[in-house]
Amino acid sequence: MLGLLILVVFQLLGTLIAVAGVKLPGPVIGMLLLLMTLLLLRRVPEPLKVTSTQLLKYLPLMLIPPAVGILSQWQVVTSHLLAISVSLIGALLISIPLTAWVLQGLVRRRRVSE
Amino acid sequence: MISTMIQTSIQHPLFGLLVTLASYQLAMELNRRTRSMLAQPVLIGTLLVVGVLLLLEVDYATYNESAALVWLFLGPATVALAVPLYTHLRRIRDYFWPLLAALLIGGFTTVLLTLGLAWLLGADEALLASLAPKSVTSPIAILLAEDLGGSPALAAVFVMITGVAGAVMAPGLLKLAGIDLPAARGFTLGLNAHAAGTAVALEEGEETAAFAALAMSLTGAVTAILLPLFYSLAG
Repeated sequence: MLGLLILVVFQLLGTLIAVAGVKLPGPVIGMLLLLMTLLLLRRVPEPLKVTSTQLLKYLPLMLIPPAVGILSQWQVVTSHLLAISVSLIGALLISIPLTAWVLQGLVRRRRVSE
Repeated sequence: MISTMIQTSIQHPLFGLLVTLASYQLAMELNRRTRSMLAQPVLIGTLLVVGVLLLLEVDYATYNESAALVWLFLGPATVALAVPLYTHLRRIRDYFWPLLAALLIGGFTTVLLTLGLAWLLGADEALLASLAPKSVTSPIAILLAEDLGGSPALAAVFVMITGVAGAVMAPGLLKLAGIDLPAARGFTLGLNAHAAGTAVALEEGEETAAFAALAMSLTGAVTAILLPLFYSLAG
């Protein structure tokens, strides 16, 4: 229970900060605040670890209801099918090799120089 | 008789919960049996729910209200993402600068390319706002799209499509680019294809999977901060 309490408190904090004018979604601010807290603590309290693990197991299920909202957006999808598919696939075609190439190149170069 | 039974079920306050759980269970089973990247449980589960709603002529608002129990904890679950992010952050020490460079270059490239291509092909502002968070893990993408003036539902579906497409395309593209470093393979999979990419990485080994999970968490956090910032600067 304590784990869930921590999560809800951080979400509320995040929402309050969002309302105060920080242009980020409340739960996202809550996540960042919790991350900073964990970095300061340098460990994850056991109740928080247990609740997070359990809760994140259900995350895929929780995403279905918002995604089903596509029902009411169907027209947007069909009328922009080309723009959607080309932009999503095209970005992947370039960004996958680029990301990997940058990382592998930098890691190898550092190893050589060491 | 039968139609009364169906009507009673539809109007039951737990109808949405039932349909969502049953669809997800079926999708998981399908994923287990086919072992196919295309059978991503959330995507298939969503399609199954959509099918049921169309068949029974239930509108989205009715379904969503009775599925409230499912998404009630989406906020706390988003906050909980800090825990895996913290755990994965420990790995960063070894590769701090290379990872930061790859994260920023990869992240910017994929977002700018998506927006640029979609804009060239006639996407309007609302659609662009739904496309922008597509590299981010779904819970964060939904929130970001809403804040930017897009549609949470479209964002969620675009994230899933990107995940599946990225997971399918990545192995071939990585081979073509001659990438054999597990850290680079994993990080690329997590950054570009989040959850589905991490599932592919898991099959390659522990190190690849750990970097995929790290990339997925980092991309979520960094995009969540930078995207609204750039949007307010540009808008």
